[in-house]
Amino acid sequence: MNEITNDKAKCELALEALKSLEDPEIGLNVVDLGLIYQIDFDENEKKIYCSHSLTTQFCPMGESISSGILNALEHAFAEYNVEVKVTFDPPWNSEKISEEGREFLNS
Amino acid sequence: MFPGITNNGLAKNTSYKVVLPFYVYAGLSFLVATIFLLFSSSAFLQHYFHPRTLAITHLMALGWGTMMILGASHQLVPVLIEGKLYSNVLAHLSFGFSGIGIPLLVYSFCEFDFGWPAQSGAILINLSVLFYLINMGISMSKSKVESVHAIFVFTATLWLFITTLVGLFLIYNFTYTILSQDSLSYLPLHAHLGIIGWFLLLVIGVGSRLILLFLISKYNNTKLLWWIYSLINIALISFIIIFLYIKINWLYLIPLIPLAASLVMFGYYCYQSYRNRIRKKVDEQVRLSLLSVLMMALPLMFLLIIILFLIFSKSNYHLIITYGFAIFFGWITAIIFGMTFKTLPFIVWNKVYHHKAGLGKTPNPKELFSGKMFYWMSISYLAGFVLFVTGVLVSKEFIIQIAGILLLITAVLYNSNLWKTLMHKPATHE
Repeated sequence: MNEITNDKAKCELALEALKSLEDPEIGLNVVDLGLIYQIDFDENEKKIYCSHSLTTQFCPMGESISSGILNALEHAFAEYNVEVKVTFDPPWNSEKISEEGREFLNS
Repeated sequence: MFPGITNNGLAKNTSYKVVLPFYVYAGLSFLVATIFLLFSSSAFLQHYFHPRTLAITHLMALGWGTMMILGASHQLVPVLIEGKLYSNVLAHLSFGFSGIGIPLLVYSFCEFDFGWPAQSGAILINLSVLFYLINMGISMSKSKVESVHAIFVFTATLWLFITTLVGLFLIYNFTYTILSQDSLSYLPLHAHLGIIGWFLLLVIGVGSRLILLFLISKYNNTKLLWWIYSLINIALISFIIIFLYIKINWLYLIPLIPLAASLVMFGYYCYQSYRNRIRKKVDEQVRLSLLSVLMMALPLMFLLIIILFLIFSKSNYHLIITYGFAIFFGWITAIIFGMTFKTLPFIVWNKVYHHKAGLGKTPNPKELFSGKMFYWMSISYLAGFVLFVTGVLVSKEFIIQIAGILLLITAVLYNSNLWKTLMHKPATHE
């Protein structure tokens, strides 16, 4: 489950922006894959903090996914500075895939 | 929130500069091996201790199989151990020493001259394996995660080092009598140390993890993997003891039992991983890799027949050649085909597009190689494989020649696709 904090409307917009980014191996977007753990908006600092995971530590595509998240959020919220952090607490597992994601993988 | 962070928590992966040279080298070795095979068809109807057969076997085992595995494992072992590769320098040294050593060794087999080229080639290959062993050992010792997959890889590397060390002794034994028997007598030992100890342990160790990742499978059975690990090592150690100290032919059936059991268990592991997968659509590359698991059964069957022949004091060279062919051109080649186009496009994609991700549509990594070329490569490979085995078993040289042409076409298609992927230039789709 994606945990959304702060401004709900902005978080929804951020998740929508991140849905354009696919995990290149799986072909599913990073949101439905359950990689996005948290998005916080700091209105005072004009900053977005996004923490995400990877399907496995030392994932060869990790750098691309991380910079993809950074690029997508910077593009969608040009007035904000974006900080992206990778976390494995808790580690990703297949339970985090959304219903839409499961349907995509089943097709 | 995470103010003040200096590192975004992203682990540093092995550079493509470390990995890609191994892939290129392996592809070229496969091409050269198939050219040799085409022009050495008569050799496969004779005793396996033939200059061309030895040259092709070592090109396939070292230049193709081992170089590809060394390259891929520098990228994949960090995934297995959840830790960084200790040294890129050791990886480059490992590539350089093997890269020079293998052609020297193959040349000496072709010329049947076991003087300085063979000796220096064997020394270089041993040093290369030693660098790899040190690199893997330190990387794993620094990792905080205890992984059965990593234990498979490390044990496999130890067996590889023993294999190449025995090979070095065999080379010197041609010139100086350092072993109690001639080198030919030790070939079965040398070969099985490499096939079972190195290739089988490594393929199962890495494959059992990758298959779960690629299929997004919920199946996980570490206990079964430990059983497989133990059975393979028991099989190999019992074979060594029987070969060196007991030398009674029917006893070779003993190591065959744990070996067959381990393969059945691995087949079961793959089947359960497949059954419990979340990702229903399985791509061609993974399918070919799964097919290679089934192809493991073929050499095992030949091995059983060879042992039965030995029990009745007969030696069938055709069967032994078919057995070796089924391993190097069958099982190992099928895995490499599948895994090359499963891993290489991602390595190249990462190199070309990692800064462009999220900034618009980029090609899918699968678009970096030609699916059509991959399809025709698989067809010519399977046809060539079946024809070669048939040709050797029925002793018809012209069938072996046709198989040789098909396998050469396979190698050309493989290398063309490899280079197409490597040469990919950045393009952004609108």
